[in-house]
Amino acid sequence: MISLGDPIASNAVLAALQIGEEDNIIAIKETPNADSNFVITHLIKKIIYEKKRLCLVNFHNTLDHYQNIGKKLGYDLLKGVDEGIVKIIQPIRDLLENIDQEDKYLQENTENIVKQLYLDIKDSLRVLKENNKSVYLIIDDLSHLHDLGVNINETLTFLHYCMNFIDDNDVSVVFNNHVSSKLDEIISNDLEYVADVHVEVSSLKTGMSQDVTGLLTIKRKSDVKQYHYKAFDRGIKTFHPGESIYHLYN
Amino acid sequence: MEKKTFKSIPGTAYSSQNGHLLVSSGIPSLDTLLGGGIPVGTVVLIEEDFHGSYSKIVLKYFLAEGIVSKHSTLIASQDVNPSNIIKELPAVIDSDLDSTEISKISGISDKMKIAFRYQNLPTADSARNQYRHIGHLYDLSKNMSFSDIENSDICYWNGQRIENGTRLYSNPAYNALLRSIRNKIRDGKFYLKDSPNKRSILRIGVHSLGSPMWLPHRKSLHSIDSTRDLDKFIFCLRALVRSANAVAVVTIPTHLYHEISLDRCIHSSDIAMRLQAFGGTELENNQSLAEYQGFFYLTKLAAINSLASRHPGSMEYAFKLRRKKFSIDVLHLPPDIHDDSDPKRQSIPLTCGGGTKYLDF
Repeated sequence: MISLGDPIASNAVLAALQIGEEDNIIAIKETPNADSNFVITHLIKKIIYEKKRLCLVNFHNTLDHYQNIGKKLGYDLLKGVDEGIVKIIQPIRDLLENIDQEDKYLQENTENIVKQLYLDIKDSLRVLKENNKSVYLIIDDLSHLHDLGVNINETLTFLHYCMNFIDDNDVSVVFNNHVSSKLDEIISNDLEYVADVHVEVSSLKTGMSQDVTGLLTIKRKSDVKQYHYKAFDRGIKTFHPGESIYHLYN
Repeated sequence: MEKKTFKSIPGTAYSSQNGHLLVSSGIPSLDTLLGGGIPVGTVVLIEEDFHGSYSKIVLKYFLAEGIVSKHSTLIASQDVNPSNIIKELPAVIDSDLDSTEISKISGISDKMKIAFRYQNLPTADSARNQYRHIGHLYDLSKNMSFSDIENSDICYWNGQRIENGTRLYSNPAYNALLRSIRNKIRDGKFYLKDSPNKRSILRIGVHSLGSPMWLPHRKSLHSIDSTRDLDKFIFCLRALVRSANAVAVVTIPTHLYHEISLDRCIHSSDIAMRLQAFGGTELENNQSLAEYQGFFYLTKLAAINSLASRHPGSMEYAFKLRRKKFSIDVLHLPPDIHDDSDPKRQSIPLTCGGGTKYLDF
C-alpha cells in the first residue's frame, strides 16, 4: 500500500472511480436516502492534487461544508480560492438577495436563471483557463434547478451548453443529480447516455445496515463495476459486495 | 460556520464529534437520536401523523426550549392562530430539582445487583450520557407562564397580510413567509456575517406547511403547482438558515399529498422524520405495542461538515406520550408470555400427556 503520493492509488474512492484524462463528462446519480457528496469531495481532492483548475457551483451545500470536509481529506479549498485556481459560484448564498428583488436565481422567467448561471460559469472558466490548464466544472446539484422552477427543456439546454465547453478539450464537467421525481429521472437518463463515466450512489435495497452505508455503481459504457462503501468521519472505505466484514474487522 | 465567531450562546453546545454548534430539540431522547441535538443552520422536516397532534407536540417542545434558552422565535401557521401554539407551550421543570432526582435514581440503581454476564453490556442510559444534554425538561400537563412568554422575542406569522405582488409562487403566502423570515433574520442580526453585541439563535417553527389552509383562495384542489411551491420554499428556507444562526422546524401533513412524493422536500432538508400514530389504525389494539402511541421514523439525517451521517441505522423507534412527557424510544416488543391473570391458563399442567382436555388444537 502506498502511504503518501498519488491519491488515486492510495484513496479507496478514487481508486474505484479511476477517472482519467479522457473522461470529460462525469455524471453522478444520487438516489433518495443516499448521499453522493463524497464522490464530489474526493474528485476535488484529485483535482487539487493534480494542480488542475476547478469551478464549483454550489446549490446544495455551502462552501463551509466543502472546506470542512476538505480539511479531513487533506486539501484546502479556500487556499485554492485565494490562489485563483478555484472559482466558486454559490447560488445557495446568492439566492438570499433575490427573495425581495426577483432577480437572477429567483425570477419568473426561468430561462434567464439558467442563462445567467451559464454566463457566470463561462466567465469563471475563461479566467481559470488562462494558463492553458485543464479545468473541471462541478455542479452540485442539478436537481435544485427544478426547485427554482426551471423546466426540463431549459435544464437540458443548459446541460448542452455546459457540455460544449468540452470542445476545447481542456474542460471536464461533473454533474451531480439527485433523482426523486420523474423529471429528475429524465435528466439523469439523458446524462447517463452522454456520460463517459456514470457513477450511481444508492442505498441498500434491504434497508439500513451498520456495516455498509450504500452501493456505488460505476459505469463506463458497457463496463459496470459495483462496490459497497462505508462512510466514516474522515474517509470512505470501499469493498466488493460481500467483503465488508473482512474489510471492517481486519 | 467558523468556530471562533461564536461566543457561548446560551442553550447551545458544540458537538464533540464534528464541532458543530447544536441546539436542543427540547426532547432529550430525540436529541440523543440526532447525535446531541439539532445542528444550527439546518432545516428539520417532520411528516405529520394523521391528526397532526403528535407533530404539534414535537414542535411545541422545540419552541419551548427556545424560549427557556432565551432564543428568538418565529412561529408561522395558517391552520391555527400561532399565538395559541405559544400559549400552549409546556412548562419547564426546575432543572436543579431534576438533576438531584436523577442522581438519586442512579444511586439506587448502583446498589442493585445484575447478573455478571450483563454487567458490562452498554445500557441505554450510558448511551444517553455520551452526549451532555443541553436542553431542559418539560411538563406537558402545565402551560408555560405568561411572564416567560412576554419577556421573549417572539414573532408571529399567520398569513393575514399577504401582498399579491409576486408570480414566483402560485400561492403568494409562501413568498410572504419567506420574506418575513428573511426580515427577521436581517433585523435581528442573525446572519453569520453580522456581529451583534450578543449572539443568539433564531428558532423558526412552521406548523402544517402546505395544508389545505395554505391554498390560494381561487383554487380549490391541490395542483402540481402547489407542491412546486413547497419544493421552492423549502430550498429557499435551506439557503436562508444556512447563512444564519437559525434552525427551522417545519411540519407538513404528508398524508394529504399521497399522490405526489415529498422526496424533493426531503432532499432540500437536513433532517427528516415521520410520525405514524397508532390511533385510528388496526395497530391501536395490538397488545405488544400498547406501551407506545406510534412509530417514529428517522428518514434522513444528513452529514453536514462530515462524510458520515450519524444515522443510527436499522434501529426501529416508537414514541410514547404520557401525561407529562413525550419521548422516543427504541422499539422493544414485550416477551411473548401469555397473560398470567387468566386462571384457566395457570391450571394447565406442564407435563406431557397430562390434562389433554385443555389442549386446544
